[in-house]
Amino acid sequence: MLVEIFITMLILALVAAALNKYPKISGIVTFFASLIPFLVVISWSQDIGLSFPQFLKFFTLEKSLNYNIGIATFMLKITPLGWFFLLLLASAFPMAILFSITFIKKNAGGFYAAMITSMIGSMGILLAQDILSFYMFWEIMSWSILALVMRSHDKKAIMSYLSFGVLSAMLILLGIMLLYSETGTFVFSEMGFMANNTTLIALSLLVSGFAVKGVLVPMHVWAPYVYSRSEEPFVAFLSGGLSKLGYFAMILFMYSVVGISVLNSWGTFRDVSIFGYTLAFIGALTAFIGTVLAIMQDDLRKLLAYSSIGQLGYIAIGIGIGTPLAMTGALFQALNHTFFKSALFLAAGAVYYRTGKWKISELGGLGYKMPFTFLAVLFAIFALAGIPITSGFAAKWLLYEAAIQKKFLFITPIMLIAGVGAFLYSYKILYGVFLGEPRHNVKEAPLSQLAAMWLLVLPLIIFLIFPGWFVDLTSPILKWYGLMPISHTPYTITTSLAAYNTLAVILALIGGLILAFALYFSKPQKVVPHTDNYLAGEPPELYEHISMHAASKYYEPFDEVFYPFFKRGAEMCWMAILKFVKILGEGARAIYTGIVNDYSIYILIFFLLLVGWWLIW
Amino acid sequence: MVMNIITSILVMSGMVALGFAIGMLFNGIARKVVARIHNRVGPPVYQGYIDVFKLFSKKTNISHGWIFDLAALFSVGGIALTFLFLPVAGVSMLSGEGDLFLILYLIAIPALGFALGAGASGNPNAAVGMMRALMMMLAYELPIAMVIVAMMVYYNTTSLAGIVAMQSNLKWAIGIPPFLIGALVADMALQGMLMEKPFDIPLAPHEIATGPLVEFGGKHLGSIILYKMMGTVVETTLFVDLFLGGGVVLNVNQFGWFAYLVNFIVWFVLILVVFLIAVIINAVFPRFRIEQALKFYWKYDALVALFILFWIFSGVMV
Repeated sequence: MLVEIFITMLILALVAAALNKYPKISGIVTFFASLIPFLVVISWSQDIGLSFPQFLKFFTLEKSLNYNIGIATFMLKITPLGWFFLLLLASAFPMAILFSITFIKKNAGGFYAAMITSMIGSMGILLAQDILSFYMFWEIMSWSILALVMRSHDKKAIMSYLSFGVLSAMLILLGIMLLYSETGTFVFSEMGFMANNTTLIALSLLVSGFAVKGVLVPMHVWAPYVYSRSEEPFVAFLSGGLSKLGYFAMILFMYSVVGISVLNSWGTFRDVSIFGYTLAFIGALTAFIGTVLAIMQDDLRKLLAYSSIGQLGYIAIGIGIGTPLAMTGALFQALNHTFFKSALFLAAGAVYYRTGKWKISELGGLGYKMPFTFLAVLFAIFALAGIPITSGFAAKWLLYEAAIQKKFLFITPIMLIAGVGAFLYSYKILYGVFLGEPRHNVKEAPLSQLAAMWLLVLPLIIFLIFPGWFVDLTSPILKWYGLMPISHTPYTITTSLAAYNTLAVILALIGGLILAFALYFSKPQKVVPHTDNYLAGEPPELYEHISMHAASKYYEPFDEVFYPFFKRGAEMCWMAILKFVKILGEGARAIYTGIVNDYSIYILIFFLLLVGWWLIW
Repeated sequence: MVMNIITSILVMSGMVALGFAIGMLFNGIARKVVARIHNRVGPPVYQGYIDVFKLFSKKTNISHGWIFDLAALFSVGGIALTFLFLPVAGVSMLSGEGDLFLILYLIAIPALGFALGAGASGNPNAAVGMMRALMMMLAYELPIAMVIVAMMVYYNTTSLAGIVAMQSNLKWAIGIPPFLIGALVADMALQGMLMEKPFDIPLAPHEIATGPLVEFGGKHLGSIILYKMMGTVVETTLFVDLFLGGGVVLNVNQFGWFAYLVNFIVWFVLILVVFLIAVIINAVFPRFRIEQALKFYWKYDALVALFILFWIFSGVMV
């Protein structure tokens, strides 16, 4: 049955590609194909120990599949961790496709085929039980992303993705080879580890390879280019969905394959392994750097790309700390990020679809023209900034609690300040694009785009009210790793340090709003256009040709303060490495002169060396 | 059960009303004190009440659309919500249901609502003012976050009610050497939080026409002013809860209603003192530019906070 699902999706990808001339039909076919993984993941829910109702079981699926090809066996099996990440990807994927039905016009068949292939690859990665199938599906996923990046026709985006993709693949391959030489088996469950340096090196290589997908500093350089030049539905899925695969693989290799006891044997700091602590610290650094760089951007897509980097850093913090609280927080942040970042990228696409502009300073006043897009963005931003009106806060709260529980005095303030920085760039999006002076006379986004955005925002509101349901969703994973699920009821989460009751927050907010409404409705009001403004005594006619939108260089004082520190970024560091490699390559190339005489001299020298060595030996 | 809920709702409504009343009073006191320092007569102490009453009884109210109206709703609703999650004079209304992190994020709800309204007005002065307000927030948040994290680790709880409970029997945090310095750091941050000089560049009445407030009038301005006034109570209470034991001097279980009365009076005096320090600094200083404010907080204030972190760190390690 599992093979059939893979084959069905592959066939649908071919059908979508064949319908290249009819973009909408092709999109609708792909949309139905994209629902398959979602139905599959829901059907599996009982197998991993969740009490989902019986009618949600659409397929009867086997839990595992072994496929022997003679020299090796490909093993696929659903695990709680894989199930959770598959749920995230399978929910974000149909929304990206739904959005593309009206968005993608040029060469749509190729786009949809590559999207489905990337999803097939992701499913394989999440089910893989041995290194060979893991790596094979990882490459399928990576190359289909490349096909989608190539559609941007932007040299910088393609080259940066390609070089970092190859770097990532090489690091992972090296790690895999070391693991194999150490254990002599490809199957995860058969690997027994010694706590020695080879394993440490192998694990470091693997994690840094996965960090490329998970865009951790300093492996993040490719992301702003790729995120800002490719088509929005793809970027929404890449940032929202596929970047989680890096974190899935980190959890898999750190806690499942190698195991916590081996990690701890390399040294611990307050009961957290040094390896995990380093990862958490890199995550905090990523959160901070991503945030500061996001504040400086003017291009909407680049801003979202850097904010994505910043928000993904939080997941790494949770994975690094590795306590039940931190793991739940990391998974919760992964879920939130999937939904709010996909929604934000799709909203950016909708804004572009209507106005044809990407620069924040050229947009403005769309809030009254595209109210439903604006509200979707507002909720997504509440989740991003961690305002307790969406589930975004619960995830950050769990991570803060986990860090304080382990008495991490330096990581926690960095996390907090990155959280505050998120308000700054969030407001830049809100003001620059949706508020201020109306400059475009446009309609609301098409229905398919609105539906995609709102379906993505919905889970954020549901998990705001019931964070306990999320904890239920992750408890099989924690049990899988032998950790105790955190104590909770549907509305409350309790830790050893404090409690968080969402019902109290919502009821108190409603109470406060009732008071505010009572004051607000006390007197009638008159609505005036933005031209009827206080302009310090100047007549408004003077301003007809001058923009009153202050979004250009919005955070200029901030840029002036921080620019000197970020002038020499990670990109320059990579450029220096590139230069070094180039010089090395040039030196090596000097040997190949193209003159036959030179080559004969090389052969002679080689022969003499051979003879000399033989004589001496 | 039902009676309990009704009682607690009544208590909370009463507390919110008290908070607003104290906020308005503080506004009058601040104006009087600044006027006396400037050798003026100044308005009467009850001027805050007059202002709010006048604004809510205006006949013409100008709005810039429904996003603009969100400011009026979220600012009053959000600040009342935040106040409910603070332990006030030992009375923990909802503070058992959330912790200090929640409060730090709840304060952002009215601020964000206000920011939405200011942006929706379309006035460039409002946008510039909002940019400065957000940068100011980023600036003062670093030192205060460091001090708060140090306190959380020291007391081994993230709950504000828990921190207040740990300081009962007059074991105030300010009596512990690192937190005495921490209180000074946090007081500097409080100056920016309250937007008093030298950190009042976001409003800067003479330069950008009170910035974010420029387009507000009538009931909208009334709501925003209520938010600002309540904001002073919330922020000073936060400071008092963190460093001065929340104003709890008598044990409620031992002395009954008399303890509540004394605690409330002590709490009121303490927040008034903390507020007056800010007002007196405000009266004699010129204002920083925004990048100067950022550099001040991140260079000097945060450096001292870092020193406190290392101090606590060395204590934790041992």
